[in-house]
Amino acid sequence: MVDIIVVGAGIAGLTASIKAGDNGANVSLISPDYSERSQSVMAMGGINAALNTKRENDSTDQHFTDTLNGGCKINNEKAVEMLTSDAPQIIDWLERIGTSFSRDANGNVDMRNFGGQKKKRTVYAGSRTGKQIVSALVSSCRKRETEGKIKRFVGYRFLSLIFTDENECCGINCIHEDTQELRSFIGDAVIIATGGYNSLFGKILGSTQNDGFATAKLFTQGVRLANLEMVQYHPTTVKTPQKRMLITEAARGEGGKLFVMKDGKPWYFMKDFYPELADLMPRDVVSRSIFKVSDGGKKDVYLDLTHLDEYTVKVKLDEVYEICDKYLNLDPLKTPIPIFPAVHYFMGGIQTDENHKTNIKGLYAAGECSCQYHGANRLGGNSLLGAVHGGWISAENAVLEKPKGNVINSIDEELESFKSYAPKDKSLQDTLSEISQIMNDSMGIYRNEGDLMAALDRLDNLDINVNAKYYDYLKVKLLVILSKASILSALERKESRGAHQRTDYPESDDRYKKSICAMYDDGEIVIT
Amino acid sequence: MKVKIKIDDDYQIFDYDGDLNISVITLLEKLDIPIEYSCSCLQGICGACAMVINSEPKLACKTFLNEERMVIEYNQITIEPLSKFPLVKDLKVDRSILFDAMTECELWLENDSEYNPKDLDFEYEMSLCLMCGCCTEVCPNYKLGDFVGAPAAVSASKLVNQESDEEHLKNMKKKYKKRFFSHCVKSISCEDVCPMEIPTQRAISKMNRKSVWRIWQLMNLD
Ligand SMILES: Cc1cc2nc3c(=O)[nH]c(=O)nc-3n(C[C@H](O)[C@H](O)[C@H](O)COP(=O)(O)OP(=O)(O)OC[C@H]3O[C@@H](n4cnc5c(N)ncnc54)[C@H](O)[C@@H]3O)c2cc1C
Ligand code: SF4
Ligand code: SF4
Ligand code: FES
Repeated sequence: MVDIIVVGAGIAGLTASIKAGDNGANVSLISPDYSERSQSVMAMGGINAALNTKRENDSTDQHFTDTLNGGCKINNEKAVEMLTSDAPQIIDWLERIGTSFSRDANGNVDMRNFGGQKKKRTVYAGSRTGKQIVSALVSSCRKRETEGKIKRFVGYRFLSLIFTDENECCGINCIHEDTQELRSFIGDAVIIATGGYNSLFGKILGSTQNDGFATAKLFTQGVRLANLEMVQYHPTTVKTPQKRMLITEAARGEGGKLFVMKDGKPWYFMKDFYPELADLMPRDVVSRSIFKVSDGGKKDVYLDLTHLDEYTVKVKLDEVYEICDKYLNLDPLKTPIPIFPAVHYFMGGIQTDENHKTNIKGLYAAGECSCQYHGANRLGGNSLLGAVHGGWISAENAVLEKPKGNVINSIDEELESFKSYAPKDKSLQDTLSEISQIMNDSMGIYRNEGDLMAALDRLDNLDINVNAKYYDYLKVKLLVILSKASILSALERKESRGAHQRTDYPESDDRYKKSICAMYDDGEIVIT
Repeated sequence: MKVKIKIDDDYQIFDYDGDLNISVITLLEKLDIPIEYSCSCLQGICGACAMVINSEPKLACKTFLNEERMVIEYNQITIEPLSKFPLVKDLKVDRSILFDAMTECELWLENDSEYNPKDLDFEYEMSLCLMCGCCTEVCPNYKLGDFVGAPAAVSASKLVNQESDEEHLKNMKKKYKKRFFSHCVKSISCEDVCPMEIPTQRAISKMNRKSVWRIWQLMNLD
């Protein structure tokens, strides 16, 4: 029997565990908290699949092409091919395990318009697509827990990978958040599904639990990362007293339009800029357009839903209505919503091939932490799809692993380091804010060499001797390394493509029609 | 404003003079004191931050100071951890028993889900449960014991709709009867506090109809 270790319990981790269990493995599923708390539950808009039930002549080929075009052709083509052709089967599976997708008048799973796609291809479940999928996956996982195929360990955070003497990955070390217990898990393969590295940019749209620790630590242990410069700014986010919140792309899919005031009148600029897709252009394009018409944020830009009917806004977009009502004191049926782009998604991360293998044998990555499907810009609705697909494919491959070498137990090293660590004086919160400030200052929608170099300098001079628990103490050091690797990747890509726009290199350049990779070698970050 | 926070059975008092148009979670951040609590989404959809605010269980990220009567009228707020679960530290509790109960009640599908057009909205609503524990906080009968609390009834009411495996259906209903029905006094307090506004009473009546009354009818026929 194979033993598989899955780290992270969002949609990717749950799917990986279920599929590995069904392929005969013993699964240990490790996460700091329950799946109900994962970022996956926050997804509202939907999940893409070319089901072609809307008489629009849609096809998986078209989905493939749109995904590549959206990603400005630096996606892993083979991976996208599998993703888009498996998508209908994924929706079918999610339905069968009990996801309550919305239906159209014919009883088919309903689909809506989303950015970067001319056809209705985004399957949704009310305005809570992620939550509905997680609910179904959780009960499916529960069944396998009872059958003894999956064992869940809740409360643990990933600390480091364990290798064999043949440099195969065969386990992980963890720390329990509440008890500080250190513990290792040894198996035949490890699947990392820890989500995006949100904390690098501070309190962004997603979950505060996705801190980037795992991605950064893997990097320092020899795992190759790719396209770290590709950070997606979601065009329509609102400022609330506690953080920026996302107004789903479905709001534009259902007919919402962006405008800015010009000569005393609203100017619906997207239609003028891009007559064909208008407000439904890919996110990178919409975000840049907003940035331009607002004069870099000086003028207010609005998302107008006032012309939509009450059913659409209050029922189909009830989550949007609720955010406006609860956090902005605004009725979107009467008043346009003031919006601005903000950091939302990481196209880059742990580089994997189409089978979700990393450069280290026995180590897999799936979901938002992994990089292969989305290239320079992800289409809305493709990330839930990628999370399920990645979990599925990585599990099918991971169950075939059998390490040859002997395990090098590294828990003693961890224990030693744990015992010898001495918290210093600097405030943890202040330090994390400094890091995110540096990242936000230099890695915005538009970048340039001067700002990026200055950011590197600031990171070099940052005092990181924080007063914090062991895990957070390590995290600060790791986040600085991941920040530097992101900035160095942005410096290396001397062109503008998708989410990466350089004012000093405003055109795209075919020499960079590839992934920018980062490796950590003897304490040095090497970019290729 | 006076902020009273229950830490280790004691109330510690802090002063806060800032903006009142903020949520309780933002208040905790602004106080800048080392205090433990759970959070993740910061927008009311993950259930992590449930705590007792002015004697009522609520999601801290969705509860605004300027909407709290105690703040408006008495310029004070009291924040306590949920009281029915073991305390981890400060405002953080261990809700694992709530999750274990779901497994014990066999809340999953054996067969592929049935599609019931009429009940789709109901099933959707029941899948919104955050496993936050606000309902169990106010439930007069919930304590750590045999009674599994409203979340299990909510989930069961959806799954018995979708399940077609007769044997498993029977087991789910049997578990419901033993672990829920025989404890619940239908006080409907749970529905009043549910942050997702899940109609728990509809879930409970549906389950009672399906699992309890049906068995009684059959018994009477015998
Ligand atoms: C507001 C919002 C709306 C969105 N809407 C959509 C949409 O409509 N359609 C779409 O396709 N996508 C959407 N997305 C993106 C999508 O939700 C995510 O990309 C996707 O859910 C990622 O799933 P995942 O399983 O990779 O990770 P997550 O769901 O983020 O789960 C990560 C898991 O890893 C765990 N973890 C984190 N750090 C550690 C650690 N150090 N050790 C151990 N475990 C760890 C976490 O606790 C969690 O269990 C949206 C995102 C947001 C924030
Ligand atoms: S109806 Fe009353 S007794 Fe029953 S679960 Fe709800 S609060 Fe508890
Ligand atoms: S039923 Fe409502 S109150 Fe109870 S756990 Fe679920 S979401 Fe929370
Ligand atoms: S932090 Fe998710 S509900 Fe409050």
